Amino acid sequence: MPKVSSAVQRVSALADVAVQGRFGADKGAPGVTLSVRHPMSIVTVIARKGRSDDLGKAIEAAYKCSLPAVGASTGKGAISFHWCGAEQYYAIAEGKAEGELYRDLKARLEGLASCSDQSHGRVILRVSGPKARTLLAKGTPIDLHPAAFGPGKSAVTQMAHVGVHLVQTGKDEFELSVFRGFSESFWEWLTEQSEEYGYQVL
Amino acid sequence: MAGFRLDKGGLIDRATSLNFTFDGKSFTGHAGDTLASALIANGVHLMGRSFKYHRPRGVIASGAAEPNALVELREGGRKEANTRATVIELYDGLAARSQNRWPSLNFDIGAINSLAASVFVAGFYYKTFMWPKSFWEKIYEPLIRRAAGLGAATHEADPDKYEKSYGHCDLLVIGSGPAGLSAALTAARAGARVILLDEGSRLGGSLLSENEEIAGGSGYDWAQAAIAELASLANVTLMPRTTAFGFYDGNVFGALERVNDHVLEPSPYEPRLRYWKIMARKAVLAAGAEERPIVFGGNDVPGVMLASAMRTFANRYAAAAGKSVVVFTSNDSGYRTARDLKAKGVHVEVIVDSRKEASADAAGIPVLKGRTVADATPGKIVSGVELSDHMHIACDALAMSGGWSPVVNLMCHKGAKPIWNDRLQAFLPPDIGSDFVAAGAANGAMLLSEALREGAEKASRAVGELGFKTKKAAPPPCRDEAYAAQALWWVKESHGKAFVDYQNDVTPKDLPLAAREGYSSIELAKRYTTAGMATDQGKLGNVNAIAILAEAAGKSIAEIGTTTFRPFYTPVPFAAFVGPFTGHHFMPVRKTPLHDWAEEQGAVFVETGLWLRSSWFPLPHEEGWLDPVIREVNAARQKVGLCDVSTLGKIDVQGPDAAEFLNRLYCNGFAQLDVGKARYGLMLREDGVVMDDGTTSRLAADHFFMTTTTANAAKIMTHMEFCHQALWPELDVQYVSVTEQWAQMAVAGPKARPTLQKIVDDVVLGDETFPYLAAKEISILGGITARLFRISFSGEHAYELSVPADYGNLVARAIMQAGEEFGITPYGIEALSVMRVEKGHVAGGELNGTTTAADLGLGRMMSTKKDYIGRMMAGREGMVAKDREAVVGIRPVDRADRIRAGSHLLKKNDRPSLANGQGYITSVAYSPTLGTWLGLALLKNGRERHGEIVKVFDGIRNIHMYGEICDPMHYDKENKKLHA
Repeated sequence: MPKVSSAVQRVSALADVAVQGRFGADKGAPGVTLSVRHPMSIVTVIARKGRSDDLGKAIEAAYKCSLPAVGASTGKGAISFHWCGAEQYYAIAEGKAEGELYRDLKARLEGLASCSDQSHGRVILRVSGPKARTLLAKGTPIDLHPAAFGPGKSAVTQMAHVGVHLVQTGKDEFELSVFRGFSESFWEWLTEQSEEYGYQVL
Repeated sequence: MAGFRLDKGGLIDRATSLNFTFDGKSFTGHAGDTLASALIANGVHLMGRSFKYHRPRGVIASGAAEPNALVELREGGRKEANTRATVIELYDGLAARSQNRWPSLNFDIGAINSLAASVFVAGFYYKTFMWPKSFWEKIYEPLIRRAAGLGAATHEADPDKYEKSYGHCDLLVIGSGPAGLSAALTAARAGARVILLDEGSRLGGSLLSENEEIAGGSGYDWAQAAIAELASLANVTLMPRTTAFGFYDGNVFGALERVNDHVLEPSPYEPRLRYWKIMARKAVLAAGAEERPIVFGGNDVPGVMLASAMRTFANRYAAAAGKSVVVFTSNDSGYRTARDLKAKGVHVEVIVDSRKEASADAAGIPVLKGRTVADATPGKIVSGVELSDHMHIACDALAMSGGWSPVVNLMCHKGAKPIWNDRLQAFLPPDIGSDFVAAGAANGAMLLSEALREGAEKASRAVGELGFKTKKAAPPPCRDEAYAAQALWWVKESHGKAFVDYQNDVTPKDLPLAAREGYSSIELAKRYTTAGMATDQGKLGNVNAIAILAEAAGKSIAEIGTTTFRPFYTPVPFAAFVGPFTGHHFMPVRKTPLHDWAEEQGAVFVETGLWLRSSWFPLPHEEGWLDPVIREVNAARQKVGLCDVSTLGKIDVQGPDAAEFLNRLYCNGFAQLDVGKARYGLMLREDGVVMDDGTTSRLAADHFFMTTTTANAAKIMTHMEFCHQALWPELDVQYVSVTEQWAQMAVAGPKARPTLQKIVDDVVLGDETFPYLAAKEISILGGITARLFRISFSGEHAYELSVPADYGNLVARAIMQAGEEFGITPYGIEALSVMRVEKGHVAGGELNGTTTAADLGLGRMMSTKKDYIGRMMAGREGMVAKDREAVVGIRPVDRADRIRAGSHLLKKNDRPSLANGQGYITSVAYSPTLGTWLGLALLKNGRERHGEIVKVFDGIRNIHMYGEICDPMHYDKENKKLHA
């Protein structure tokens, strides 16, 4: 049995599953590149009744980024906010200590929003490459064509019977977040659907 | 001409020879062939046997509508029955077999059915197999199913992959003939997102098989240029080998892409089929028209085929249907076949035109006007025809054309009926609004110039409505073939057997019979005669059937109308609907954060909804489930046990009105719950029946942590959304599922406290500092955030510990290590269930959607000081009736007996009957603690009957025994262990 130490590491649900390498059909450059973003800090922020405007101002003041409109994302780098329901958002950050983002948001948004830590409850997958959009069309009924979607968009959808929070982060780059418990099953589906293009896991 | 393969021409690659087998015999064809064209080129016309009479049949059509040439394709797990030889692309190694024949296609014993043909009229089954009634299921139906029928499905697993995908476009164009290409070009040039799909292996539609002139060149060349232009545009998606099979609400189209049906074996990385849902803002139907057969004697003899099919085989596939051809037509298009065949060097003996007046160009071929073919000589290949005036003409192929029917199917899938047009003698698509319109032959525009113009116009209007500006451009000049038609449905002078519907062997005599017997509605006549049923859904025969029925019923064709058009336009394999969701992936698997730890401990998992939960943890020497469960229960009761309870629904409820919200949701009070305390809560449905239970804790004045049962987690979340959004929008409350954030562990048993004390930081787990129902945010193992609840489902001194999920396995291992000195044992949900039954806690078996709080012995939880969901309805007369079934405990009178869940309870001396039923057993367990099987039951007026001996009856297992009713709490009634 492992010795418990104070320097405890988070272990990703996909630690043993998302193995690095090149898979699927060999058609030159991989059509799709997959990676697991871990460890991440994710907090659900839900506006208190009638406090959306004040919440927006507080976030603006604290994080120098606006509260996203319906179906949109804001912020980049240190912290980003993503619409995920009526007056409901995910705040996502990288490189924070355990519970740090949650405590920070809770303190700064006191009385304006309810915050719930979801850092361990969701797994974020990055999907990029020339075939990323075609791949995702096998799962989501959302139109991801540049005319309808694009960088800065955020949507809640379903793929392969699993609820997915979908964000476009670049021209051919998307991030999907799913419940932790479904992540292995979802990964299997995603990689199988990527096989025809050839894919790599970073 | 060598054999039946023409020396030159056709869209086949003569340099590439492909070997294939049909009924085990080897043949050779070329790339670009279909199975049908390759067989014809090899002189094979006999391809199948008919459904009822086992008549020899050959190919009738050249595309999707083919009713006769149905074969079993491929072998083993890849075998597919009833595939149409006319749409199977030839590939090297293709293996196909004919169907519905025994012992062989050439000699089929079933053909004696036709000797008794006068018996097998419409309604034959209904009339003949009426008595004795009991014979139908066991004797008649199996017999009929063996005698009649088509191909057989395989029993082997399909080794191939299948996929689903979503498509989106401004304009969907269905069909890539002249109208479709014209529509796609117009919309694409305006910048609209266009999907052009076609069921054929190549785009081009009729331009691949007809001699047309467009823009000074051939129609084929114009099509190639148009396709090349479309392929070069980023806003266009070309989808050959894709059939739009259904039209649904919201302008959504179902389509089937045959990604790898044209190869021997798909690449392991690619699917065979891809099932598409295409959301089209606008759509144009350019599916063309289907030529109609004529009903005359022997119109099914191999060698008799549609004139357009014979033309397609010659032009596109360089295959001649025969060496001496007769053309029988009621319209101008039969002349095209005669001319094209003649140009290819095939001898055309004569054109028989039923019209007295006709001006079409016969290119010097003799024409017999105002004459009809009454009979084709029966046999395995046609050898001649007899006209109505008894003139005999020898031939080895007969082309027939009864006019054209626009392919209106998709436009009628939502219930609209097609409209009869007298001039064209055809049903035209209905006007169903501007989101989905028809163009070209599908719309009755039978001239090439009309098709090109309509395609462009309809597309221009459609994308114009979406804000795209199209350039006005005159359609390219082209040569038109005149089209004039005169009705000819049935040559009544026929002597031989004639067929209206080939696939079901429906004759023209069946329809008047249906009318005479009262089935003159087309919907009834279809069911009575089977005309228009089965895999082709009457694509060729329906209009003839309607016309013949109309005449018999003394009505017009328009009055009779059509049957209902429904998806699917052509058959879609089940595999396409299933997609990748089969076997292990039927539904997603949901794993708990302690899964790896449980696996290390040797857990046997069970599916609970989508979750995999640990059932028990057998040791190497243990067999079966009972031994490990007994050991696990004993460990938790006597030492300490660890159980993964992460699957419980967990909901964060926050906001100034959170307490009020919970107070209204639960039947017991939550407003006064102290911070740092947990409380067991019971929720009712609006109708007063118990919905769910769970422990909810108050972490702060405005912050609660709610738990639900595993099964109801999503349902409770939905319920809360409804209550908040619809009933009490004024409440300032926020809630979100945090089920997946927390790994949750139950640590139960006399040694639970010392075990946990070793891993918590800075908390003393004493009765004063951490009493029963304490609920606190703490940290463990030197800094891991955790929540600790002193609650118990087992009846022991117990805790539930929550930690963020990524630490779950690690913390579980640490607890095992901490508890090692006390003999800690992991236990699964079976042991958990045993302990809750021993302790009399209600769960799924009792919370079964029929029980009230009082039935469960929880009536006192229903607050009288507040309103809550279900309060009013719970007070109804029947809900509070004295003789309701209430939860009781039950044990076998003979302690060695095993009681079973589901058994019925009766008074001691009553006989089993519905009227005598007193209740039933809801949960059972073997109690190692008490050394006997015991259970919980719902029993009429149960609380008054403790001590009564009842009869236990299980009709399924044939169990008759006696049980003793007792208090549901079998174990530790005084809760000494709980508070120890």
